[in-house]
Amino acid sequence: MRCAVENLMRLENVSYRYHGKIPALSDVNLEVHSGDHIAIVGANGSGKSTLLQIMAGLRYPMTGRFFFNGTEVSERSLRDKGFLRCFRQSVGYVFQDSDVQLFCPTVFDEILYGPLQLEIGEEEGKKRAFEVMEMLNIEHLKDRPSYMLSGGEKKKVAIASVLAMNPQVLLLDEPTNGLDPKTQSFLVELMLALIEAGKTLIIGTHDLSLVDELRSNVAVLSENHRLVKIGKAEDVLSDEGLLLKVNLIHEHIHRHGEAVHKHIHSHYLFHRHEPQNRR
Amino acid sequence: MANKIPPFLLAPPTPCSIKQAKGKMRIPFLGRGINRLASVIREGYAQWDFSSQNGFFQKIDARVKILFLLFFILIVTLKRDVLPETYIWVFVFVLTLLSRLSIAKIYKRVLLFGFLFGFLIALPSAFNVITKGDVVLPIATLPRPYNFWIYHVPAEIGITREGIHGVAMLTMRVINSLSLSFLILYTTPFHEIVRALKVLKVPDSFLIIITLCYKYIFLLSKTVEDMHLAKRSRIVRELSPTEAREWVAGRIAFIFRKTRLRCEEVFKAMIGRGFSDTIRFCGFRKMRMLDWGTAVFLFLSGIFFLFI
Ligand SMILES: Nc1ncnc2c1ncn2[C@@H]1O[C@H](COP(=O)(O)OP(=O)(O)O)[C@@H](O)[C@H]1O
Ligand SMILES: [Mg+2]
Repeated sequence: MRCAVENLMRLENVSYRYHGKIPALSDVNLEVHSGDHIAIVGANGSGKSTLLQIMAGLRYPMTGRFFFNGTEVSERSLRDKGFLRCFRQSVGYVFQDSDVQLFCPTVFDEILYGPLQLEIGEEEGKKRAFEVMEMLNIEHLKDRPSYMLSGGEKKKVAIASVLAMNPQVLLLDEPTNGLDPKTQSFLVELMLALIEAGKTLIIGTHDLSLVDELRSNVAVLSENHRLVKIGKAEDVLSDEGLLLKVNLIHEHIHRHGEAVHKHIHSHYLFHRHEPQNRR
Repeated sequence: MANKIPPFLLAPPTPCSIKQAKGKMRIPFLGRGINRLASVIREGYAQWDFSSQNGFFQKIDARVKILFLLFFILIVTLKRDVLPETYIWVFVFVLTLLSRLSIAKIYKRVLLFGFLFGFLIALPSAFNVITKGDVVLPIATLPRPYNFWIYHVPAEIGITREGIHGVAMLTMRVINSLSLSFLILYTTPFHEIVRALKVLKVPDSFLIIITLCYKYIFLLSKTVEDMHLAKRSRIVRELSPTEAREWVAGRIAFIFRKTRLRCEEVFKAMIGRGFSDTIRFCGFRKMRMLDWGTAVFLFLSGIFFLFI
């Protein structure tokens, strides 16, 4: 499955504007193969969330087209029961703002909502829900309503509710934001395991160290909402000029005694430079 | 820790094919209706906040516009003839055109409300049963006039000239007041209106209530829309009508609670940034020549309409 060549998702010249006025994406072309793992990076407001929502079939391109398994995803095609079922079952989306995502009375209902729809039987559904809660350490929140949780807890519940459906494609919008370091590093391990298991993983993030850890392919969105580069993690992360241009890192001028030197700041580069500094 | 990952997650996903289910989705009317309403409200808000386009009225100081609105609504209520009302309507229409507003969008609402609250409500008074006068359009003839209690039902029932005049007047007044209000609303961002009201000595507590209501309605419609999106991302099959109804019913209370919490957070954020129960705004920009000129022009036109 991992080496299937036909593309799973394809975006052709996709553009999107909010309220017909605020530009969010312009002329984006992207292909995703089964088993790929792609990080969409870009500064705040560059259109990462919008792109992921289009790939999740929640918004439809204003111009351009989006295909899933060769079928165009549109308001019309998603009204077809067979395609809807296939698409929603295969594609899971974790919202950036988990507050938005949670809509069931309690955490347990939330996690069980997806599996129950899949008609895999209530027993199996509950088993999945418990396993996922155990994995993310949220069993004790089981009976709480979602609006009585902290930000990080909400994020975990949101991730759990999507994982319980076991989708083939996972779209994660800023997955590590607002999580404590331990959960963050667990999440990275989980993502690596899912990639290993052949899942297609697409994340939107501006955390370059996450990109580095996952070693995924990277698609860079510029501040004027265009895809300016698609490449391997190491190629993109070492392209300082590009990262500076799209405002993902910034130059900082320090004064060290007499000498003034320029220093480029970013998670990734900072991480890399540490051993050199010590020397 | 990887061993804690449940096996079902690492298993290949359930294969799916388009042929699993057949037919077209029916989207439950209730859910769709509520979402449509919410997005109309949000769209309206967006339009409103965008109202800083460069038409004629958009450039005018909000204080001038609010006074203009009050003055003209007064004139509209004082006028007793259809013709002057028509002149005022033409005047407002020209202002709307100058401000480059979408005539279709505004008049769709104005005419709908004018029809509901002007025409339909006033219609019964067109009959000679209610307003006495010359019958111009007879509708029914009774064998003899009836009298009971204080009512007198004449033998010939029909629409009277005075009645028509009354209905036309009320409809015109409603239409004029609405076109005036929409003209102001669509050319002035909400915060400008609140500021202008503050300058015009409207009590602060009242302004806080309006501001929070405005925020609340916005958050409410946004929460509804978000929830619709979130549900859509996890809807795999068609819900039965019962399931759909239960969902909507169960969620209404939830939405209100969630929105209230959010609104409280917004209020806390306002307090956190030094908000007390008096509203302070940075000063209005100075009235420019254009503002004074327009104010004088509008005032003189108002006087003119008063005396024709
Ligand atoms: N609901 C919305 N209404 C209006 N504009 C929006 C909305 N959501 C996002 N935008 C705008 O669209 C652009 C892209 O946003 P988004 O996709 O959220 O960026 P990112 O996730 O990369 O931060 C931004 O300029 C943002 O201001
Ligand atoms: Mg985002």
